[in-house]
Amino acid sequence: MISGGVAVTPGPVGIGLRAPHVTEIMADHPRIGWLEVHTENYLGGGPAGRTLVAIRQRYPLSLHGVGLSLGSAEGLDRRHLARVVELARRIEPALVSEHLSWSVAGGVYFNHLLPLPYTEESLALVTAHVSQAQEALGRPLLVENPSSYLRFRHSPIPEPEFLGELARRTGCGLLCDVNNVFVSCANLALDPGAYLAALPPAAIGEIHLAGHARNDADGQAVLIDDHGSRVAGPVWDLYERAVARFGPRPTLIEWDTDIPALDVLLDEARTAERVLGRRDAREGVRDVAA
Amino acid sequence: MTSLRELQRDVGRALLGHGDEAAAAAVVEDGLTAQARLGIYRHHVFTTLTAALQATFPVVGRLVDERFFAYAADQYIRVDPPASPCLFEYGATFPAFLGGFPACEGLRYLADVARLEWALSRALHAPDHVALEAAALRAQLSEVDGQEVFSLDPSLSLVASPWPIDRIWRVNQPEADPDATVDLSAGEVRLEVRRLGDDVVFRGLDPGVFAFRHALTDGYRLAEAVERARSADEAFDLPAALAAIHRDGLLAGIARPARSAGTERSGGRSADPANRCQPSPHPTRRADIPVWGE
Repeated sequence: MISGGVAVTPGPVGIGLRAPHVTEIMADHPRIGWLEVHTENYLGGGPAGRTLVAIRQRYPLSLHGVGLSLGSAEGLDRRHLARVVELARRIEPALVSEHLSWSVAGGVYFNHLLPLPYTEESLALVTAHVSQAQEALGRPLLVENPSSYLRFRHSPIPEPEFLGELARRTGCGLLCDVNNVFVSCANLALDPGAYLAALPPAAIGEIHLAGHARNDADGQAVLIDDHGSRVAGPVWDLYERAVARFGPRPTLIEWDTDIPALDVLLDEARTAERVLGRRDAREGVRDVAA
Repeated sequence: MTSLRELQRDVGRALLGHGDEAAAAAVVEDGLTAQARLGIYRHHVFTTLTAALQATFPVVGRLVDERFFAYAADQYIRVDPPASPCLFEYGATFPAFLGGFPACEGLRYLADVARLEWALSRALHAPDHVALEAAALRAQLSEVDGQEVFSLDPSLSLVASPWPIDRIWRVNQPEADPDATVDLSAGEVRLEVRRLGDDVVFRGLDPGVFAFRHALTDGYRLAEAVERARSADEAFDLPAALAAIHRDGLLAGIARPARSAGTERSGGRSADPANRCQPSPHPTRRADIPVWGE
């Protein structure tokens, strides 16, 4: 358990904590509102967990899971859920999040956030799994919209409505990944503004921002959510619209491939802070971090 | 209309390259074929799992080249994909896969180097270990009869090879002398791998001590471990071996699984899932078990 750690309320903007930056962050303690880690990297023993405890003494932490597979028709992996619960008990994170996706079928873990058909069957299943996870954790979960490269023929419920109904049924919060909204809408010919407008603002508990790549597949441009570059200009614009609609929310800069110097991430974080600051100036709010 | 369970099985098969017709039939094409859309996901699955294997087996990656490693990883992922969302747990069977991979026949030591790398990775992520204190140990060992099952430091692995895999590993570290060579005829090694503090270390052991610790980590009862140690080294010294286990801080606990009538198979199990109890093919000899002394 954490003793003497910082308050669990995240500041306005955080960054994803990645291995190449740990030493520098622990030595210099740069101004960062909070840090987010991938839960599955810390479920073993050894130095990783001890490092996380040390970091938690300095910064609010968010546990961002990629392995619960909330959308698996085979049910949740109880052993895995128990390990996540145990880590959350030790770390006392500010936020715990997962994805609207599945990654396990036939006992195989695919290490990918795979898309669901948005049906009543899926909604009932994910509702049951989110409730099961929240009961085990003793706290609400934030559920993130995935980046998509396909949609299923039989998928009658629009994704933002599916997420809104999930939040209504389970009491979970939503993690709105603005880059994922942008990527999915570009790949599936949807309107990102309409997507944001269909999400329930009160449920949004966190926002993600990241870079994406533009690839060519069979002569058609496909946006790939690779978290390997700065946040794209149109995604910053969409973030402004998200903040205008949802209000200021803890915002995270994610970077997972071709990880740059820490200063680059901090620079992106400052940009997000300026967006939040402009919104506060309009709303007459003095300090979003308060 | 397929159920969600069937759809996920179909997509799963497509992702592992086992046929994408069923999954593709469920996907909207819309400017890009269903196969191309599924291919974007498959590409991510294979590149990230290959990267996970490269992170766990960096020396294997240096011994072959990057393209060959990616080819071997591709073949391995298709037949033995991960079962756990924690990727540090993926790759336990990769050494055996390499050992049976025809394309690796020319590198006969490769599978054993992979075994060493798996042991190093496993040690890094093993549950934290609390060694039994001396007083508790003395109390536990005051009544040994050979039926005890020791649970040792969960980071401990014992890796033997007819090749000098320790040397091969060392000369393939990033900071090693690039001109260093390894004499492949240097002979067999018996290595003990474990985590000490935050560091993973390995060292060579004598045949008897190696066999003894190996048997204990495999969950054999004490008497059976002694038999195995004596088979490896007639001069195996049990009091010295027990003292060394204590001195090395390896012992986490001692269980006394109940014996079922007429069999050596243990009837009880320790709460520690790593504490696997194996049937012993040999009768135990009580006289083999010394009184513990420091």
